[in-house]
Amino acid sequence: MREITYAEAIREALRQEMKLDDKVFVFGEDVGAFGGCFGVTAGLYDEFGPDRVMDTPISEAAILGTALGAALMGMRPVPEIMFIDFMTVCMDYLTNQAPKTRYMCGGQVQKLPMVVRAPSGGWIRAAGQHSQSLEGWFTQVPGLKVVMPATPHDAKGLLTASLRDNNPILFIEHKVLYNEAGPVPEEEYVIPLGQAEVKKEGTDITLISYSFMLNKALSVAEQLAGQGISAEVVDLRTLNPLDHDTIAQSVQKTHKAVVVQEAVEMGGVAGQVVKSLMDSSFDYLDAPIKTVAAANTVIPFSPPLEDAMLPSEEKIVAAVNEIAG
Amino acid sequence: MKPVGLIANPASGKDIRRLVAYGSVFDNNEKVNIVRRVILGLDAMGVKDILIMPDYFGIGVRAIEDLKVSSRITFLDMKRDNTQDDSARAAEILNELGVACIITLGGDGTNRVVAKTCAETPLLPISTGTNNVFPSMVEGTLAGMAAGFTAIDSSDRPDFIKQAPRLTIKYGSEIVDMALIDIVVSKPGFIGTRAVWDISTLQEIFLSRAEPGNIGFSSIGGNISEMPSTNGKGIHIIIGPGSYEIKAPIAPGLIRSVPVKAYRLFEPGEEMPLAHTPAMIALDGERERIERKKMQVAVEIDLHGPWVIDIPRALQQAAKQRLFHNPSPSRR
Amino acid sequence: MELSQEKLLEMYKKMVTVREFEQSLSEAVASGTLPGFVHLGIGQEAVHVGVAYALRATDWVTSTHRDHGMLIARGADIKRCRAEIFGKADGYCKGKGGSMHLAAFDKNAPGCNGILGPSQTINNGIALALKRRGEGDIAVVLFGDGAAHRGEFHEALNLASCWKLPSLAICVNNQYAISVCFDDACSIDDIAARASGYGMPGLVVDGNDVMAVYEAVTETVKSIREGKGPALLELKTRRYKGHFEGDPQSYKTPEEIAEEMKHDPIPIFAKQLLEQEITTEEDLNAIEEEVQKELQEAIEFTDQSPYPSLEEIYTDLTYEERRAV
Repeated sequence: MREITYAEAIREALRQEMKLDDKVFVFGEDVGAFGGCFGVTAGLYDEFGPDRVMDTPISEAAILGTALGAALMGMRPVPEIMFIDFMTVCMDYLTNQAPKTRYMCGGQVQKLPMVVRAPSGGWIRAAGQHSQSLEGWFTQVPGLKVVMPATPHDAKGLLTASLRDNNPILFIEHKVLYNEAGPVPEEEYVIPLGQAEVKKEGTDITLISYSFMLNKALSVAEQLAGQGISAEVVDLRTLNPLDHDTIAQSVQKTHKAVVVQEAVEMGGVAGQVVKSLMDSSFDYLDAPIKTVAAANTVIPFSPPLEDAMLPSEEKIVAAVNEIAG
Repeated sequence: MKPVGLIANPASGKDIRRLVAYGSVFDNNEKVNIVRRVILGLDAMGVKDILIMPDYFGIGVRAIEDLKVSSRITFLDMKRDNTQDDSARAAEILNELGVACIITLGGDGTNRVVAKTCAETPLLPISTGTNNVFPSMVEGTLAGMAAGFTAIDSSDRPDFIKQAPRLTIKYGSEIVDMALIDIVVSKPGFIGTRAVWDISTLQEIFLSRAEPGNIGFSSIGGNISEMPSTNGKGIHIIIGPGSYEIKAPIAPGLIRSVPVKAYRLFEPGEEMPLAHTPAMIALDGERERIERKKMQVAVEIDLHGPWVIDIPRALQQAAKQRLFHNPSPSRR
Repeated sequence: MELSQEKLLEMYKKMVTVREFEQSLSEAVASGTLPGFVHLGIGQEAVHVGVAYALRATDWVTSTHRDHGMLIARGADIKRCRAEIFGKADGYCKGKGGSMHLAAFDKNAPGCNGILGPSQTINNGIALALKRRGEGDIAVVLFGDGAAHRGEFHEALNLASCWKLPSLAICVNNQYAISVCFDDACSIDDIAARASGYGMPGLVVDGNDVMAVYEAVTETVKSIREGKGPALLELKTRRYKGHFEGDPQSYKTPEEIAEEMKHDPIPIFAKQLLEQEITTEEDLNAIEEEVQKELQEAIEFTDQSPYPSLEEIYTDLTYEERRAV
């Protein structure tokens, strides 16, 4: 199968969907002729023109507000917020507004299709306000789906599913993954939301993760095989709604789990995964569940400091070794 | 040395004519700058007391911030409704206080209201409204200097101050309202946003002057080529298909073809009854009154309008009187 | 601006309906039977009716927590409005929105937003969709003098102007944002003056005169429908009751309150109608009686409507149906 990058996979999903459905349109800062700050929307402007691919002023509140209003009217907006760190200036739309619209009007609005795309994550030496992983905040909003693909293949399938879903969705991409290549089918396809995937089968321990860290977990699994430990790797893919069943099945099989998130330790998805496993699989556990996350501090600029405070393969291996024996 | 009064209307220039015509936005910050220049002009002429009408924007208050002048500046102690009544009230008070003149910032509408209560006190109108026939487009500093001159000048009725004509609305012998430039009579309706821009309901127009160089309804008369010079006579125009169709700039950027059925001049003292009641009456560009059915309403022109200062002539006089010469150094 | 006698009397009846509707809510608060908070628009009826009657049924109007009257003026059913405000199942939003989220989508009225600011940017999205539909419909948003200082005011106007959206922003300036007087919160004297900073016309209108409001909105929407771009209107008016019902308005002197009520839009309109001999005192009295009767029906409807079933806690949250491709 041909290999394309994560960014290209996302672009392909957008392109294919925009061709199929002329209600889909993309807008945000620099997404037009410039092709987006990470190049994801490159070429879309030339292909679809200024009515379907629009540049905006630096006005995140206006961007998401406009998306909501357009979605209310039956359009299918795909706004981009340049860095998830900037979501804070337009939080309202993904908390008080879009996820609650249908509920508060008692169902008078039947659908609110908007897919908000935002790059997240560190390792790019962009320091405290451009490197965060904030997905945890958004998982605590009923009515909002949160999706974080780990591979080019999943990025295309999950984005296509998101573009066809009728709910407000936060689709979080990882900056470092944009240039990572992987096998991606050429035709359009859908990966259902709310479904985790066992990316690698194993018997001795389950590694649960998502987004960039999922790739680290897979790397670690290979290393562990060399140590004689058979690790199963589960990719959450959708953070809300969480696929409790898949993670339960895996841990009930392996009896041990390490949950890995790039976000800081306090708060966040890993804690929810632990809670889910405690509820479903306590009696199956042979050891406490470990979590690996970033240190509870601000992401520093200086490269060795950033690398030390973010989670790493070494830290995952260390966590495994604490309970594997 | 008499004091000088100042009335700056904060409301003028933000009405619907901004949308239906293309008037420039005259924001209150610009008025503050104008008032500042006026005060500096007054101060330069040695005016000791300047009395200013207070307004909700604080045009006067902001104008004097950080301004170093010898004149003493006082705000009138008066009740404010934040309506056009404030300007009328202020003019009445300034007249009672015996000011040399009242400088106004506004359009025809503002000056009309001031003219009702200023009695014999002369006006120096600076244009900041939409329809500006009565006030002049004059630079604030010069306006201040001319006004300052009137405070110094001791002559009783100098020839640079002339009385303007006015149109009156009468019920029998009683004057119930007046206008400085135009009275526009339309089919009955609501006062609404006050401005007049829809000519389809016009019935008749009374003008105190008709010159082609003016914006507003008076241009309908002014643009008729056969219109003689009016010299204190009124002009009555009946609107309707007939003798003429006149292209007239009835508001900034708003040029309309107005059908003129007939027109004639009328003398001071001649009663001109309204052709139809009920009717909507607009005075100096603003819908003001509704005359009910069967009311006996007539329009007249007289020469008892406000006294108005001719700025270039006032400054000429001041120059002739050597008022712009500082004492020469050897005399110190 | 020709309105028939029938239309004018309909407008008068609507104003009285809004007044009496709000009054009855005030009485319910006093008697302790109304749950939560209501923000009454008593004194602002000229705004509601003047705006509503200058628009087409196919235009969209988004409004504030003080604008039950806006929905009523647009033709919403007062029975269902009242039931919603009391949290009953027969309310427009099944009782799940209440006063602060009252919406009547069948009247193109997304209604109230509990957060100040987002409605202005959401309105842009509605305007974008209407522009694309190409039928000349416009998107109107009402907000108060307080909300005019939110960042969204600026983001929304700027974007609407850049994209030449058919949107009309109406600032209903009743001089108070809870207890803070407009003069203390605003750096300039008229919100309309900000319009020129965004390249659009800004007009100040007497919000207590329903015909002045009607006329100004009529002319403004004519211009917007002609494709001349968005506009900002500022309607100066007053509210006679506190920010929320129960607020004793300690920030206003009794003299000020008495002065405000001298400009009551309903007697002003009645006087105009009588002066122009469009109606008689008897007819106006008959209208008032009709309104009382209709209000009584709404009160009975509300009393008889049940609370929603507990299942409704979980309904209207995510959109089940997926779009088939």
